[in-house]
Amino acid sequence: MNRHLRTLFIVLLLGALTLPAAAANRLPAPEKLTLKNGVTVYFLKNAELPLVSLRMWIPGAGLGNEPAALEGAANLTADLLMKGTATMSAEAVAEAVDFLGARLDISAGDEFAGLTAESLAEHFPRLMAIAADCLMHPAFKPDEFEKERKTRLDGLKAVKDSPGAAVRSYFTKAYFGSHPLGHLANGTEASLQAMTLPDIQGYYRKFYRPEKSIAAVVGAIEKPAVLDLLNSTIGQWKAQGAATPTAPIPPYAGPKGKKLILIDKPDATQAYWILGAPGYKLGDPITPQASVMNTLFGGRFTSWLNTELRIKRGLTYGVGSSFQTWRTGGVFMANSYTKNDKIGEMLDIVFDLLKKGRGGFAPEEIESARNYLLGQFPPTLETNASKATAYVRLAYYGLGFDYYEKYLAGIQSVTGDSAKAAAAKLLPADDFVLVVVGKSAEIKAQLAKYGTWTERKITDPGF
Amino acid sequence: MPKKIAAITAAIMSLAVLASAQFRKEDVKVNKLDNGLKILFLEDHDIPNVALYTFFRVGSRNERPGLTGVSHFIEHMMFNGTPKFGPGEFDRRMEFAGGANNAFTSDDMTGYTDWFPAAALESMIEMESDRMQGLLLDPQVLESERGVIASERRMGVENNNDAILSENVRATAIMAHPYHWDVIGWMSDILSWKRDEIMAYYKTFYAPNNAVLILVGDFDPVRALELIRASYAAIPAGPPPPVVSTVEPPQMGPKEVIVRKEAQAPSFLMVFHAPSGASPDFPPLAILDLVLLNGESSRLYKRLVRDEQLALDVSGGTQESIDPLLFFIEAKPRPGVDLVKLEAVILEEIEKAKTGGITEQEFQKAQNAIKSGFFFGMQSINGKAGQLGQSEILHGSYEYLFSEMDLYAKVTLDQVKAMAAKYLTENNRTVGKLIPEGGQK
Repeated sequence: MNRHLRTLFIVLLLGALTLPAAAANRLPAPEKLTLKNGVTVYFLKNAELPLVSLRMWIPGAGLGNEPAALEGAANLTADLLMKGTATMSAEAVAEAVDFLGARLDISAGDEFAGLTAESLAEHFPRLMAIAADCLMHPAFKPDEFEKERKTRLDGLKAVKDSPGAAVRSYFTKAYFGSHPLGHLANGTEASLQAMTLPDIQGYYRKFYRPEKSIAAVVGAIEKPAVLDLLNSTIGQWKAQGAATPTAPIPPYAGPKGKKLILIDKPDATQAYWILGAPGYKLGDPITPQASVMNTLFGGRFTSWLNTELRIKRGLTYGVGSSFQTWRTGGVFMANSYTKNDKIGEMLDIVFDLLKKGRGGFAPEEIESARNYLLGQFPPTLETNASKATAYVRLAYYGLGFDYYEKYLAGIQSVTGDSAKAAAAKLLPADDFVLVVVGKSAEIKAQLAKYGTWTERKITDPGF
Repeated sequence: MPKKIAAITAAIMSLAVLASAQFRKEDVKVNKLDNGLKILFLEDHDIPNVALYTFFRVGSRNERPGLTGVSHFIEHMMFNGTPKFGPGEFDRRMEFAGGANNAFTSDDMTGYTDWFPAAALESMIEMESDRMQGLLLDPQVLESERGVIASERRMGVENNNDAILSENVRATAIMAHPYHWDVIGWMSDILSWKRDEIMAYYKTFYAPNNAVLILVGDFDPVRALELIRASYAAIPAGPPPPVVSTVEPPQMGPKEVIVRKEAQAPSFLMVFHAPSGASPDFPPLAILDLVLLNGESSRLYKRLVRDEQLALDVSGGTQESIDPLLFFIEAKPRPGVDLVKLEAVILEEIEKAKTGGITEQEFQKAQNAIKSGFFFGMQSINGKAGQLGQSEILHGSYEYLFSEMDLYAKVTLDQVKAMAAKYLTENNRTVGKLIPEGGQK
């Protein structure tokens, strides 16, 4: 039992990582290497522990690039890459990776697919050989495809037993509607039923390409060894045919007006909710002010939300707010849960705080939030994996390796006025989506005052 | 080891950089104050931050009926005020100084984990030492925090089918020892603990002789020790806390518990009584755990998830504990799956382990997982502080951490097989099933 769930403040609702909450005082500048096939690799040696981490992003192979009819294809493709190659069965891949005590994963974010590999330095060459084989020579066997599809269909049912998890999928759908960023990583019943193996193979051919891929290696390994190893593994990845231009993910303005959704789960003893509204795009100059503002509003233990709802009133174990960003936009989200008979009291306080927040914060609060963000920053770039992720991320978004320096300087210069301006812009008043999952019979009357709700049953298909 | 893999390993060894191994037993410096407070220092100047962890030897294991969950409740109240720093002051001051914290309670221990910039060290030591004995337990604040815990239980147990089942299975398998109840405690206890009972419990277990202080990161050890002496030396040692004397009697036959509840998917959990973390039986059983349950190549994952597609996932294994706890096999059945069949497949795999043991390849795989896991856990100052603290509480000394890999390397294949036969028996077994009410949808 933990005092609080730290992850609450970093809701990974949309798959992509957002990261004002990260970075060390100094992110060491990496060396830039180029593989024979043109893939860029950023490298930093760190021999403190006998470990090596690699991160690689394949831009365009994420959820946001899926054709509408193929919702769930990005994630299913990523998972299938680990389920057998031309020369290894799925079992052989799993056995080989587990035998090394290593971690190997390919998964889809919103704007890219990501490959993660880390192991003891002595096992890293073998691990990269397996990783490259998975990436370059996937077998796409029909029986493995069927297994993945069935697992997802079964998982979609199971997730509805957990209101805390289900509310996220309902929110994603309610907020983004048919926009590609509203795609659920595991797809929907309808999309999974319709999907075929040739769809997945087509998706792989179109989106998995080395041209724009970016990698980073950090750990106990020398530069010549990195070059030799990567040139003989992922450096062998050649583009097949000409690249089909892929449309960028269209911007999404977010909701206009209030959208209120109630999902009836008759056995729930607590009501779970997420409120969302338009945020800001990745790299937006408002980032430092928004970080300070959100730290105070719902981003740490003494935040307004946690103080009023948990510390003073004991209404909940966890409450928080956060921003999620991507290349062309972002979203602000707050979330919590409470006993069925307290949901009205809780939401009243949330709306009061949003209103109060738009009026700004006291000078000592601003100072405290600045200190907090600066003090908690170094651990976010402490490990090999976090540094490698930062290199790939900064390179992909074109933010520059001094981005975190600038971000930290930006934090230092946030004032009461600039934080207030960010709050006035980003804490929603009239335009938002609010989704509640709970026992309708016990909460519906308390919710009526907020407007007209669209009500559905949790057993209805889809989200 | 198969030839092919040996050849590959030899080839790749030449590419690897030999690590400078900055994390050695000798780097940990130990001090002890007259009042019994043990202090561990490990310098690490990679980032300008410090992890200050305080572990107390108290958990739900030390509770009694009526007071279940109170260890965890005190963990929450530790942030709610002393005469010197009023309710909420700890968090406000810490966050103002750039620090953050969390805390946790388990069956065996309570840990307070602070992460802060180096400059906040003095203030953090002052506040940590103050709350070791100074809690107010203000009645109004106490009532509010009671609500928080009730919400945590509703979230973590009542609205989580796997957790409801787990609570039922634990309480069925363990009948006498305080591991009978979950760390969160029973709801009726949460709603009725009295302030004086909570205070008495706090006074009993929160004393320097029942704690370990761990400092990892960017600090000057001479000055840090001065600061710690100045804040902690005057705290008196307490009488030794009462010993947990209850010993779980041997189970004399298989048990089963059924939970019926509205749900879309069933839940399944099988447990066996297992040895304590310090038992010589623990390492070989832990290796069996890795073979059965670690990763997609593990025996149970392959059978249940991949081959027969009865489950969405399977997890569990051993858990290091002060007293004997359980070996867990938790499967997430697919909706509509016949739980009798699921159970039969698990039992079949257990039977194979008992009669055939594990292979050389599986043994080496487990060793590699243990070695990697050790280093993965050491990548941050937080990870180091946590590992040192766990080792102190569960094994009596941080030194165990550095001998663990050798201990596991000495296990033999015969021992692993013997542990399967000794612990994974019918009479030692409890099975729990959560069955969706009103038919599966």
